[in-house]
Amino acid sequence: MIFEKRTERILVPMFFMVALFLPLFLESNSFFVGKVTTIIILSIFVMSLDFLVGRVGLITLGHALFYGLGGYLFVILAPEYEAVNFWIYTFYICGISALIALITGAVVLRTTGIYFIMITLAISQMMFYYFFDSLEFGGDDGVFIFMKPETSIFGLSFLNLDDPQHFYYLTLFSLFNTLVFFKVVLRSRFGRIVEATKQNPDRTEALGYNIFIFRLACYVIGSTLGAYAGFLFALQYGFVNPSFLAWEMSGTALVMSILGGLGTIYGAILGTFTYEGLQYLFEHLTEEWLLFMGSAIILMVIVLRKGIAGYLEKLLEK
Amino acid sequence: MANDIVLETEALSKHWGGIKALNDISLQFHDRQLHGVVGPNGAGKSTLLNMLCGSLKPTSGCIFHKGERIDTLKPWKFVRRGIGRSFQKTNIYPEATCIENCAISAQRRFGGNFNLFVSRHSNKLVRKAAEQALAQVGLESRSDTVAAEISYGEQRQLEIAMVLATDPCILLLDEPMAGMGHEESQRIIELLKELKQTYCIVLVEHDMDAIFELSDQLTVLDNGRHLITGTVDEVRNDPRVKEAYLGAEEDDAEEEAA
Repeated sequence: MIFEKRTERILVPMFFMVALFLPLFLESNSFFVGKVTTIIILSIFVMSLDFLVGRVGLITLGHALFYGLGGYLFVILAPEYEAVNFWIYTFYICGISALIALITGAVVLRTTGIYFIMITLAISQMMFYYFFDSLEFGGDDGVFIFMKPETSIFGLSFLNLDDPQHFYYLTLFSLFNTLVFFKVVLRSRFGRIVEATKQNPDRTEALGYNIFIFRLACYVIGSTLGAYAGFLFALQYGFVNPSFLAWEMSGTALVMSILGGLGTIYGAILGTFTYEGLQYLFEHLTEEWLLFMGSAIILMVIVLRKGIAGYLEKLLEK
Repeated sequence: MANDIVLETEALSKHWGGIKALNDISLQFHDRQLHGVVGPNGAGKSTLLNMLCGSLKPTSGCIFHKGERIDTLKPWKFVRRGIGRSFQKTNIYPEATCIENCAISAQRRFGGNFNLFVSRHSNKLVRKAAEQALAQVGLESRSDTVAAEISYGEQRQLEIAMVLATDPCILLLDEPMAGMGHEESQRIIELLKELKQTYCIVLVEHDMDAIFELSDQLTVLDNGRHLITGTVDEVRNDPRVKEAYLGAEEDDAEEEAA
């Protein structure tokens, strides 16, 4: 069983059951289907960050770099007025993002601690300003995606990305796969060494493991999934702009992941939904929603030391 | 006896700025022998061990393993050559169970470290090697206990089990008996007696009785210098050792008498 904790075994099926039937009770074009889709996409992004920060111990402030890349790579690669194949382009985008993660990772992973935080931030800011000032990618306005990809496999098409409900199920399916993927990876022999490296890097090296390679592999995995989330987000809204890879994006994702319960993986879903839910609530209640939002987060971090997942585990685990 | 040198240092030095932590040390370590290293605090014992296991690069001099120079290699390559070390301060994975601690050490040599999809528990070889290492130090009963929850003495044993699980041929042990009670120390001594039949052991230890009892060869370091290497009796009767080690005490005694 890849879900080792009781809390996971209760919450994960519950969440996916509710999410699976949710659109059936809402109109296909309703605002809520779109909103929940966005939160699900964000959950994938936050989950990939939670893996890096909470499980590998790589506190990155440059994760949004890959979120933005996922969107921009599609604009760069795909012809403007032609519907390309979704699966093939997912493969391209993930492949190239992985390669970029491999190269940047080889540089940034030579540093640790505060220097790692700074250098990941620096690299993502570099890319931010590159796209911000670029003429061919619309500068700070970004680029529109006119044609959504088609999703046929061997001529069979069962998904229409223009249909919000279809798109919703695609993102839900992706979130489920991401969750299972991380759980499986962390349970593997590779995951054992990753866990060991996080707990005690010096000892792990003294046991003969090249911890740099393990960290690099994780960095590539996390970054690639982050890029995939960015790609989905770009498809949903039909545009990319530099705010995708702004540092605020990395920062917000980090807050969501901490709110959910750092390193719990499934906590990323809890954190993202809570954060977005609170924001939606406060936005509708008051003009000064940021003030309430900030206070709520501070309060939650003080009260729930190990995040929402940590609190639920304390209740359910025994 | 002469041909079974497994580890050798040649004019090994480590300087920190102007401070000579270790100066011009040439030693030979033999297979199936326990080589004790003693010396007062700050003599350079730990520095020597840190260089032998690769975590510290020498300022000058070389280290040879079975005739090949290894001091330029990355630390994790030392373990792959069969050089395992334990730490002075308990250095384990506190959140993992004892068996998992040993599995982490054992797993490397069986491959599949980059296998992302198969459960870590499915490999029987790793499990068996980890169980064997735990059994060697007598911790079988603690197999499924989280390492943070076992006693300090048991943690020290676990530390050794983790080194054994890497399947080494050379054991570098940094004060395995530090902070242990008499009974626990006795268990470690018995264990080391058994282990030295099969491994080359370099033992740094403050417990003099233990080291006199165990050592085949004994090296005394003082202030980063190599004082003497010989059998226990040779070292015991050497006047220089008395001066370095006991000399201070005798002086004190004389002063007091005067």
